Amino acid sequence: MKTITSVAVVLLLAAATNLVAQGMLPLKLELPKPMFVGTPKTIKSANLEPARKGKPRPPVMVPKGVENVAEDMEITSSDSYPIIGDLELVTDGDKEGADGSYVELGPGKQYVQIDLEETRQIYAIVIWHFHSQARVYKDVVVQLADDEDFITNVRTVFNNDHDNSAGFGIGKDKEYIETFAGRPLAVKGLKAQYVRLYSNGSTSSEMNHYVEVEVYGK
Amino acid sequence: MRSFIYRSGFALIVLVALFVRVVQLDQRVLHNDEANQIVRAGRLLEGDSYRYDPEEHHGPTLYYLALPLAWLTAGREFAATSEWTYRLLPALCGVGVLLLLLLLWDGIGRGAVLAAAALMAASPAMVYYSRFFIQETLLLLFTVGAITCGWHYCSRRTAPRAIATGVFLGLMHATKETCIIAYACMGAALLIVVAFKVKSGLTLDLKLTCRHALYMALAALGVASILFSSFGVNPAGIWHSFATYLGYVHKGLGENSDHVHPFTFYLRMLIGQRSGGLFWSEWVIMLPGAIGMLLVATSSRLIKQVDRGLGRFLVFYTLLMTLAYSLIPYKTPWCMLSFLHGWIILAGIGITGLFNVSRHPLARIIVLVLLAGGMGFLARQVQRTSFRYGADARNPYAYSHTVSDHLNLVQRINDVTALQAAGRQTPIAVVTNPEDAWPLPWYLRAYPNTGYWNDVASLPAPFAPALIVASLDREAEVATLTGERYISEYWGLRNEVLLALYIRRDLWDRFMESRQP
Repeated sequence: MKTITSVAVVLLLAAATNLVAQGMLPLKLELPKPMFVGTPKTIKSANLEPARKGKPRPPVMVPKGVENVAEDMEITSSDSYPIIGDLELVTDGDKEGADGSYVELGPGKQYVQIDLEETRQIYAIVIWHFHSQARVYKDVVVQLADDEDFITNVRTVFNNDHDNSAGFGIGKDKEYIETFAGRPLAVKGLKAQYVRLYSNGSTSSEMNHYVEVEVYGK
Repeated sequence: MRSFIYRSGFALIVLVALFVRVVQLDQRVLHNDEANQIVRAGRLLEGDSYRYDPEEHHGPTLYYLALPLAWLTAGREFAATSEWTYRLLPALCGVGVLLLLLLLWDGIGRGAVLAAAALMAASPAMVYYSRFFIQETLLLLFTVGAITCGWHYCSRRTAPRAIATGVFLGLMHATKETCIIAYACMGAALLIVVAFKVKSGLTLDLKLTCRHALYMALAALGVASILFSSFGVNPAGIWHSFATYLGYVHKGLGENSDHVHPFTFYLRMLIGQRSGGLFWSEWVIMLPGAIGMLLVATSSRLIKQVDRGLGRFLVFYTLLMTLAYSLIPYKTPWCMLSFLHGWIILAGIGITGLFNVSRHPLARIIVLVLLAGGMGFLARQVQRTSFRYGADARNPYAYSHTVSDHLNLVQRINDVTALQAAGRQTPIAVVTNPEDAWPLPWYLRAYPNTGYWNDVASLPAPFAPALIVASLDREAEVATLTGERYISEYWGLRNEVLLALYIRRDLWDRFMESRQP
């Protein structure tokens, strides 16, 4: 087992070195202050990422020169009139977990959609739903498309809906506990103008929340 | 004509109060405490006898009064009852409190009664806990009953009025142990009022007063004894109903309790606080309540329809109750109903005073517009606290509440078992610490093959239940037991507390097949 782990680590390092050699660098994020660190209790599940116990995630590798192309971009949503906050909060650059930094969408399956204004090559998306308490958001699905109605060239880049309750097929990604570090997703340079993020309530309430979404691309 | 308008206004307020207390009564997920109380009531419904437990769960009125409503709406089978069956009782008690205010018509004036009824109908705390199956709204009803009957006894001393007051005092005792705080505050406030009256020349017929006091005490003890003894089946319950206070002293002091809160806990909740980006407050009640207190304290002419003795009693009683509950370290938000009703009646008096100070028609219109604005604010608070955020941790009244995601866990169990030949007979194991088992015993009441264990070692072997629900502190043991034969999911129980659901893989595969388009 140790041998397999060692080989895997060496291969990963080699892959990372190879990516750096190709001009790929670890994505550096500006993180908000921690309001909830780690997980309150040991959580293990077939459908939940293992607890990180305060350790950072492995970095997402992105090419040199990428930037957050979502900042201050127009946001639309399945809930056009949020009770708390405005949709603009999703891309306003404020990732703090305090009140006033998040938008609350209505109950059940809801989405926010970011219009990048032009087709971008996307390498990473980072999501902060709500990180002042430990909770798991359900049916997190992230899609890219060329049109605002999500008809043309729709690609799903993340799906942790393990029972297909959101209707986009069974997701292979794991659920995760929200932390101040957000959840970075690697996107492999796919081209798209629109990014849509779904969720279906959380383990704390049926409401949906977004503190910030960043889209790194060129 | 004026009388007709007042009566119609009161009737309208009662209808609105009833509506907000019963609409969507089954929508909010059950609180741990509600489920506990419901399961106890359910046992009584199915024929088990009731025995008072001096350690926990409070008095018997809640269970006994739930029975007739359950018989009428669902029959005698626990599994056939719903949240509606049980929550209807506190909802009706909440409306009953409004009706009892009518008995104060000649004590504080009909304007004050009308205003107090409107505030009682729209108070977010009153509405929220009138939709909550615990003892609090019953205690409130009996407390207001004791005060109103006591007032009527003071205005004309007759034996039936003394007995009626005694019955309500006895029902308070048979509802919740905290009635002792209300007794003490009522007694102290009464002594202060009598002291004022003696100073201004009051004479008491001591012989008559003692006789009526005896009637009152006998009525109180009689009612409480019947209920605590389970209608004579368990006479020890009567003694236990007094002995229980030894335990409750320690509880009140907050020993070994998670519910110790600062002095300002209740007042912050009522005056106003920000939580989760929202403002939660009942200042629309507290501000006119404080004005009402000032008007009574200064014997203002603006409230000449308020009986001075009753006014003073309400001021001292409310202040003492607020102080007592704030001083006790053990605090839960529903306890504040015990003094909030005093603030509401005084707010009714305060609003009458404000209305009387504005003699000019334009000034009265301005007061009415302000009142309408205040009622609008309360209505919005009610919509948030009792409906949209009914089970949300940001709602200050949803104290340690079950999260709505728990209903998704129950739905998953229902969906998976519906595909089994065994259906509701499917074996389910719940392996949790005692706190995290609730409110599942309510939601799984239709599954007779559900077992509850505190650890995996206690599970019978060999045992491979179709479904296992585990609290996270038992999860490692359960995961060892289940291995790869089960898939697991996480569902919310309370804020930041999760439950793991293990589904045997064959059931899961069948469930997923059923979801294929």
